[in-house]
Amino acid sequence: MKKAKSQAVACSLDSKNGIKQHHFDDATTNSSVDPFSMIEDHAETDVVDSDSARASSSGGFTANLARKKAIPPQPAKKLVIKLLKAKPTLPTNFEENTWAVLKSAISAIFLKQPDFCDLEKLYQAVNDLCLHKMGGNLYQRIEKECESHISATLQSLVGQSEDLVVFLSLVETTWQDFCDQLLMIRGIALYLDRTYVKQTTNVRSLWDMGLQLFRKHLSIASEVEHKTVFGLLKMIESERSFPDVNLSFSVICATVLGEAVDRTLLNHLLKMFTALGIYSESFEKPFLDCTSEFYAAEGVKYMQQSDVSDYLKHVEVRLHEEHDRCVLYLDASTRKPLLATAERQLLERHIAAILEKARGIFSLMNLFLPVHSAIFFRQVLTFATTGSRALSSYIRRTGQSIVTDEEKDKDMVFSLLEFKASLDAIWEDSFSKNEAFCNTIKEAFEHLINIRQNRPAELIAKFLDEKLRAGNKGTSEEELEGTLDKVLVLFRFIQGKDVFEAFYKKDLAKRLLLGKSASIDAEKSMISKLKTECGSQFTNKLEGMYWPTYPLMDVRLPHELNVYQDIFKEFYLSKYSGRRLMWQNSLGHCVLKAEFPKGKKELAVSLFQTVVLMLFNDAQKLSFQDIKDATCIEDKELRRTLQSLACGKVRVLQKNPKGREVDDNDSFMFNDVFTAPLYRIKVNAIQLKETVEENTSTTERVFQDRQYQVDAAIVRIMKTRKVLSHTLLITELFQQLKFPIKPSDLKKRIESLIDREYLERDRNNPQIYNYLA
Amino acid sequence: MPRTASKKGPANSSSSSAVDLFRSGKAATKELERIDQLYYSYANNLSGMIDPEGIESLCSDLKVDHTDVRILMLAWKMQAEKQGYFTLEEWRKGLKALRADTIIKLKKALPELEKEVRRPSNYVEFYSYAFRYCLTEEKQKSIDIESICELLELVLGLQFRPQVDLFVQYLRTQIDYKVINMDQWMGFYRFCQEISFPDFSNYDAELAWPLILDNFVEWVRSKQT
Repeated sequence: MKKAKSQAVACSLDSKNGIKQHHFDDATTNSSVDPFSMIEDHAETDVVDSDSARASSSGGFTANLARKKAIPPQPAKKLVIKLLKAKPTLPTNFEENTWAVLKSAISAIFLKQPDFCDLEKLYQAVNDLCLHKMGGNLYQRIEKECESHISATLQSLVGQSEDLVVFLSLVETTWQDFCDQLLMIRGIALYLDRTYVKQTTNVRSLWDMGLQLFRKHLSIASEVEHKTVFGLLKMIESERSFPDVNLSFSVICATVLGEAVDRTLLNHLLKMFTALGIYSESFEKPFLDCTSEFYAAEGVKYMQQSDVSDYLKHVEVRLHEEHDRCVLYLDASTRKPLLATAERQLLERHIAAILEKARGIFSLMNLFLPVHSAIFFRQVLTFATTGSRALSSYIRRTGQSIVTDEEKDKDMVFSLLEFKASLDAIWEDSFSKNEAFCNTIKEAFEHLINIRQNRPAELIAKFLDEKLRAGNKGTSEEELEGTLDKVLVLFRFIQGKDVFEAFYKKDLAKRLLLGKSASIDAEKSMISKLKTECGSQFTNKLEGMYWPTYPLMDVRLPHELNVYQDIFKEFYLSKYSGRRLMWQNSLGHCVLKAEFPKGKKELAVSLFQTVVLMLFNDAQKLSFQDIKDATCIEDKELRRTLQSLACGKVRVLQKNPKGREVDDNDSFMFNDVFTAPLYRIKVNAIQLKETVEENTSTTERVFQDRQYQVDAAIVRIMKTRKVLSHTLLITELFQQLKFPIKPSDLKKRIESLIDREYLERDRNNPQIYNYLA
Repeated sequence: MPRTASKKGPANSSSSSAVDLFRSGKAATKELERIDQLYYSYANNLSGMIDPEGIESLCSDLKVDHTDVRILMLAWKMQAEKQGYFTLEEWRKGLKALRADTIIKLKKALPELEKEVRRPSNYVEFYSYAFRYCLTEEKQKSIDIESICELLELVLGLQFRPQVDLFVQYLRTQIDYKVINMDQWMGFYRFCQEISFPDFSNYDAELAWPLILDNFVEWVRSKQT
C-alpha cells in the first residue's frame, strides 16, 4: 500500500459560512482525505492498513479484537508544515467587478427595473468587499450612486404640475418610493452597515445617509420644498375655511359642506418632513405663522359680528379642530404651540373685550352654563394668563366700585356678599371648582376690600349687628347661619381686623344690654366662628359679656347725669362689694307708671326720657332751659329726648309752639289729653345713631391700641434679642403684628422707646439697637 | 529757697526730675493762684459762681462776642454743666488745661482751643456737649426748635453751611416736631458727615435714620421737583 504523503493543505480561512474554497497543490490520493486535517500520522496509517488487511483475511470481528497485535510504539515522526508558495490573491479587478454587480443592482432599484442578480449574491458581494477591507470605498460608491439617483429624482419634480394637490401626490409617491428603495439597498448592504459603519466614526448609517442626501437635494431643488410646504399650508387653510360637517364635535357650525382634504396625504408628507428633520424649520414655523394670521383675522371678524356666547362657542369649535388636526396629521410636538397660537389670537387678544361685552355678572353666568363653553374657558384660564388677569381686574374693578362708593355704604356689605355669591356660583357650576379661578377670586377680594381702610370692617360689624338683632322676621336659623358664614368669608379678607373687633364688641354689648339679640344661640355661634378665625384672644372679652351678673363693659360713659343713679349705685355696691359700676346712661331704660286723666298707662322709656318726664311730677309746664338745667343732659341729647316725647307718634308731652324741632324757647307741658289704645306703650327714643364723634373716637381707640401693641412688640423682641439691627427689627415687627402699619410709624415708636430709654442706638453702629434693661 | 542746682550727691541725676517737679510745683501753685484770682474777678459775690453777667464781662475782655462758638468751646473745655454759669472747679479745670492764668493768655489760647475742638475725634464730643449744655431744666430731654436752629448755626455752620441752612429752613416750616431730642441731634451730625449733598443720593429711609431726617429728605426732594 502506498503511503499517503503528508500534504500541506491550504484551507480557506473562512470556514464558518460553509463556503469554502480550497486550493490543493497536489492531487489527492485515492484515500479520501479529510480536508480539515493538516497532518498525517504515518503510524496511524499503518495501523489502519494492517487492521483492514487482517480483517479481510480472517472473518468476523472477534478475530480482530482477539488478535490485536501489540505493536511497539514507534518513535514520533516529524511533521512538516509547508507554507503555500504564494499568498492567495483576489482575482484581478475583484473590486471593480463586484462593484459593477452592485452598481447595476442599485441602479435597477432606483429605476424600478428588474435585476438579474439575486439578493443572495448581492449580499455576498458586499460581504466580500467588506472582508477585504474595501468597505470604505464601497460606502462612498454607494453614496455616490444613491446621490445621483436621488438628485435626478428630485430635479424631475421641479416644474411639475401646477395643481398643488397633484404635485403633492407626486411628492408623496416620490418619497414613498425613495423609502422603499433605500430600504432595499440597506438590506443588501446590511453587512456594510453592521461592520464598517459601526467601526468607523463620523460615518452615518446607510439609512441616515440616504435621508441626508434626500434632504440635501430637496433643499437644492428648493422650489420643490417650498412648493410642497405651500401646498400643505393651502390644504390646511382650505380645510379650516370649510370645516367638515361630519366631524363629531362641531354640532353647531354647520356651514358649507367641506372640501374634504386628503388627510392621509398630509399625514405622509408631514411624516416625510419629520423624517428628514426639517419639520420644525421648513413646515412648523410657516404653519404657525399662517395659523396666527388666519385666526387673527377670524378673531377680529367674528368678535365684531357675533355676540359673546356665539363667539366663545365658535372658538371652542376651532380649538377642538386644531387639536384633532394634531391627532390626524400634524406632528405631536406641534400641538402645544398650535393651540397656544390659536388661543392667543382668538382669546387672549379679546379677553378684555369679551368680559366687557358680557354685561353684568348674571349674563356672564348664563354665558357659562353650557358645558362646552365651560370646558374651553377653563382652558382659557389655564393656558392664557391674561384670562385670569383680566378676570382678576374685572373682579377688582367691580368690587372696588362697591367698596369705595361712600354714598352706598349702607348697602356695601350686602352688595359684596351678592357679588361674591355670584362669582362662587360660576366657579362651582361652570368651572368645576377650578383652583386657579378660586385663587383669582380670593386675591382680587383681598385687594379690593382693603382699598378703603377700616370702613368695610366697620360696616361688616354693623351688618352683623343688624342680622343678630331681634326683629329679623322671616330668616330661619339656617338662613341666618348661612349669612353669618358668608359674612365671615368677607371678614377673612380684611387686614385690619382689630377695627372690626372694636365695633363688634360695642354693638354686641348694646344688643345684650338692650335685650335686642334675636337669639343667644346665634350670638354664641358667631362668637365661636370668630374664635376659629382669629383665635381665642379675640373673643375672650366678648365671651365674658354673657354673664348677666358681670356687666363689665368697655363702652364709655358719655354724659353727666343726675342724682338718681346714686341711689342705685349705693344699693348695688352694698350688695356687691369690690365691683366697679359703670353707668351706661344712654342705654338705660325704665317703665314709668303714668296717670293720665284719660287712663293710666305704663310707659316704657329710656333713662333720659324718664328723667325728663319725672320733672313734670313737680311742674305742669317747663321751658327747655328749665329742663336743661334740671337734668344736666347734654344739649343735643336733650333735644332728641324731648322730640321723642313731644313730637313723635306718642306725645306724652305737649310742645309749645308746635313743631318738629326743639328750639331754645320752647316750653313743654304734661299732655293731659293723652290717649292710646294700649295700656303699655313704648315711647321710642329717637335712635341714637352712632354719632360721627363716636365713630372717630372708636377708630382712634383702635389706633391708640395699636400703638401699645407695637411698643409691646418692640420691647418683647428687643428683650429677647438684646442686640438687633434696624432692618431685622422692622422685619420681625411686620411678622408679628397682625394689622397693617407703615414703616415710618414703626420708626416713630422705636424713637419713642429710645427716648424713654428702653433701647439705645449702638455707639459704634447706628443701625443697631441695644436693649436697655 | 535752697538752690537745688548746687546739690551734690548720687541723687543728682534723678533729682533733676524731682527738681523740675519741685520747681513746677511752685510755679503751679502760682498759676493756680492767678487762675483763682481771675475767677473771682468775674464771679458773683453772692453765689460764688461766674454768672451770665460775669460771662458777658469775660467775653468783652476777651473781645469775643458772647454768642461766639469759642465761648461754647471754652465751656466744653471746662466741662461746664450749667449754661451761663462757671463754677470754680470748672474754671480751674479749663484754664489749667489751657495753661492760661491771665486774660491775655486766655485770649491767646482761644485759636489753639478752636483747632483742638475742631479735630474730628473731638468734634463729636463737642457737638453732643453743645446739646446737653442747652438743657437748662432738670429732666429736660429736648430743646425747642428755635434754639436748635441757633445752636446748629453756631456749631455746624462753619463746616456744613448748606446742610444747616436747608435743615434750619425745614425745621422752621414743618409742624410735626416742636422739639428735638438728643437722638435726632446726633443723627443730624452723622447725616451731614455721611450723606452726599445736595442730592442725598446715598440716603436710604429704610435704614435706622431718625424719622425727622426721612421727612427732611422728602421735603427737600419735593422742593426740588
